[in-house]
Amino acid sequence: MDFLKRYLLPRVIQYLVVIIVGITLVFLIPRLSPVDPVQQLISTIRMQGTYLDPKAAEKLTDTLKDLYGLKGSLLQQYLAFWRRLLKGDFGPSLFQFPVPVLSLIKDSLPWTAGLLTISTFLSWLIGNVLGGLVGFFYQKRWAKFLENFAMVIRPIPYYIFSLILLVVFAYLLKLFPLGGGFPVGMKVSFSWRFIIDVLKYAFLPALSMIILGSAVWLQTMRLIVSNVVREDFVVYAKNGGLKRGTIAFKYVMRNAMLPQVTGLALSMGQIFSGALITEIVFSYPGLGTLLYNAINTGDYSLIMGITALSIIGISTFILLIDLLYPIFDPRIRYK
Amino acid sequence: MKKFLKVLFLSVVVCSFILGSIPVAFAQLAPELPRSETLMVDILSGRTATPDNFNVWAATWRSPDRGIQQLMLEPLWIVEYATGKIINALATDKPIYNKDFTKMTVKLRKGIYWSDGVEFTADDLVFTVQLIMKNSSLGYYAQFSTYVDKVYKVGNYTVVFQFKEPNSRFHTYFLDRWGACRPLPKHVFEKAKDPVTFAFNPPISSGPYTMKSYDPGGYWCLWERRADWDKTPTGKLYGMPQPKYVLYIYYGPPEKKVLAQNNHQLDMTGLTMEALRSALATNKYARAYRKDFPWVVNVDPCITGITFNTAKFPYNNKDVRWALTLSIDIVDYIGLAFDGAATMGALPIPPTPVYLKWYYGPLESWFKNFAIDVDGKPFKVYDSDAPYRLAEYAKSRGYKVPTEPKEIREIFGYGWFKYAPDVAEKLLVKNGFKRDKDGKWLLPDGKPWKITIVTGTNPAHPAFRNAFAASQEWKKFGIDVEVMSTQMEATLASRGEFDADSTWPATEPWGGHPDLYRTFNSWRSIYIKPIGEQTFGHASRWSSPKLDKIIEQMEKVSWDDPKTRQLGMDGLKIALEEMPSIPTFAYPGVVSWDEYYWTNYPGAENAYCQPYEHWPNFKYMLPFLKPTGRK
Repeated sequence: MDFLKRYLLPRVIQYLVVIIVGITLVFLIPRLSPVDPVQQLISTIRMQGTYLDPKAAEKLTDTLKDLYGLKGSLLQQYLAFWRRLLKGDFGPSLFQFPVPVLSLIKDSLPWTAGLLTISTFLSWLIGNVLGGLVGFFYQKRWAKFLENFAMVIRPIPYYIFSLILLVVFAYLLKLFPLGGGFPVGMKVSFSWRFIIDVLKYAFLPALSMIILGSAVWLQTMRLIVSNVVREDFVVYAKNGGLKRGTIAFKYVMRNAMLPQVTGLALSMGQIFSGALITEIVFSYPGLGTLLYNAINTGDYSLIMGITALSIIGISTFILLIDLLYPIFDPRIRYK
Repeated sequence: MKKFLKVLFLSVVVCSFILGSIPVAFAQLAPELPRSETLMVDILSGRTATPDNFNVWAATWRSPDRGIQQLMLEPLWIVEYATGKIINALATDKPIYNKDFTKMTVKLRKGIYWSDGVEFTADDLVFTVQLIMKNSSLGYYAQFSTYVDKVYKVGNYTVVFQFKEPNSRFHTYFLDRWGACRPLPKHVFEKAKDPVTFAFNPPISSGPYTMKSYDPGGYWCLWERRADWDKTPTGKLYGMPQPKYVLYIYYGPPEKKVLAQNNHQLDMTGLTMEALRSALATNKYARAYRKDFPWVVNVDPCITGITFNTAKFPYNNKDVRWALTLSIDIVDYIGLAFDGAATMGALPIPPTPVYLKWYYGPLESWFKNFAIDVDGKPFKVYDSDAPYRLAEYAKSRGYKVPTEPKEIREIFGYGWFKYAPDVAEKLLVKNGFKRDKDGKWLLPDGKPWKITIVTGTNPAHPAFRNAFAASQEWKKFGIDVEVMSTQMEATLASRGEFDADSTWPATEPWGGHPDLYRTFNSWRSIYIKPIGEQTFGHASRWSSPKLDKIIEQMEKVSWDDPKTRQLGMDGLKIALEEMPSIPTFAYPGVVSWDEYYWTNYPGAENAYCQPYEHWPNFKYMLPFLKPTGRK
């Protein structure tokens, strides 16, 4: 009961408040932007060749405003939006009207979730393990090498780094494809060949994120560990004659991991907004380019759908980590 | 620790072995697709958000340029702007209007079949129009509901339209100029519960290719040639399309397209000028539209330039607009924008070979004598030497340029306005402008004159380049200029919230026909709206009672009537005199073709058709391509 009142309930209420405020902001901000979704669509249609004489353009504008539900006050639109959202419906995309937003997200989400979940988790794991070891064995040559490597790699802009990987491995060595999710002409199936091909197509995008991501986690973990190693209990353990490996993994890294677990929750939540530059460089399908195009075209519904998903994703992961924290940190449990 | 490192090392080795076990030369195509029979081309509009939806009749966007308009669907008529012709595709002849343009008859081509074996007949066209008129969410609803009173068939191959009001150019809604209302299959759509949400997947084709597969991620769409390709307009008019497969694929930014093309995984693509030069330098099989400088496409039916907001002071003053025009050195301008690689044009229509023949040439002597009033004296504005100076500039940059005047004019244009900053100064001073002690221009009220030029966000786009070139020229002249690059450019232009904009100086003409109604109609005075309200006419908000009369006269005659050409010339003279926008150069299309697997592209030396893979005419190019035989 105490746990429910003092720990669970406040966190759940906070979770709901964050989602409501976040989604409200997501509703308001695109509408405050001067990008007019109707005008953007008409401009695209005209730029792509369709002849819209002025009379037809005027009539189409009225039609689109009606279809998009952009008539009515902001409050009316806001209430209509929540009514739909509570039924699990983000409404239709404006630019691709009347294709439902959920349908567009559903097509891109598996690619984003698959690639980013694996690469986020792997970079977290690799970065933290290596960072912990580098921080603990800081005097070793290999530790210094890894630390310097991370220092060199980290400032490289992601776009440049991923392009370098592409040029080397896809263009010069021709070991990997230049882009896409799987070979052209191949049918989607669960065959061994298809899975290998999907992995191969995902390899370079994942590698680019894992290398740079690991460098970031390595450096932060190294910093945390360099503080933890000075703690009394570590000195005591060393003087107590415990094996160095045991001290490194069970004492130092176990304690240093705690803030990194929170960091992982935040990173995992962000996968729902996609990885725009990765998708552009590697022509990898995902939510990033979907969101980018939605912003350019003023597609309010699609922007709201993707960002709402991101808000819910991040908040949910943080709530889960918050609730699971007592498992990681016994001090919370005792408290 | 050592054990951990050993495990890590072994994992890396095993993974590399598994992933590297597939052949070294990585191809984009699945092994069962023969590269030598596949043409790989770029998707202009990028990744498709709705890859499983082929219903392009909805009013909103469905990425029609992933092969749908180019391979899958045929129109009634199509504009061929490279040769200046209108091609009868699904129609067998041009539209037949009655005397007062209240009725239009369309004769359809016989022996055309949809890819599922059902014949294309008048039923399809009638059904298409009737369906659209019942659904405001379908494209062309606005046009058809405004004009069409009745549509019906007479026999299986003739369709008659009756209009609510005269419309001498109604057929242009079916004229494919990079977009049109193309007939849909009645026998498929009549079964659809909702024609707007109907995905039309798998689609059936009236064109020579059917959809074979597509990327659920939206990056490619694969098309296969129909076995009965001869039952399509493409087959009947031009023969068998040579590639068995056509792959529309989007690789991403220009640098990736260059990498793909250099790996011979992209045969036709549009690029930026910088990317083209990189491709030409690193791939011996790559070529541009023109094999030598300036490389660019000069048949694109579009003129670029700067548009003034003629509803806003001081751009509502013709003298000010002329002053700004005469303060531009067009050679310097094109040098800044495209390093000299563009065709100058002084009229608000593109200086393509056909328009040079129809308008630029015939108007040249008038243009040479055309003068504006400067301090009571006539000043002749035309500079016919400008193309030769541009050629000299290109030579000084180390490019190979022809020396024959005829060739120079064909490549660089016929002429432009004189660079006369002294005359520009006189025009401004006459209207109360003055310079401050630093030589900067002040408005008549004494405030510093600042021009903001609004443009889009793509630095490779000709509009963007026009904006920056104009800003440099006007700054040199002593005006404070700022370029505002924004995603909202279309919105600001339509609301008149700008001083100058790099949007096209006039609505593009048809391209393959001398009629200029499409261009002039946007300048009609009935479409002018106050600043702040959205305009549906041209962003310049300019109009002229004299031009209104010309437009009305055009509407009363067929677009093929010889009077139309004369009306076109009269209208151009009015537009030129008033200078609501400054036309600068033709849209310099930059294309790169890889000749490793395919040759005989329609380059400048062999312009049998338009050159772009994103235009619907692309299907008419395919019978002429030749495979090199490389596997």
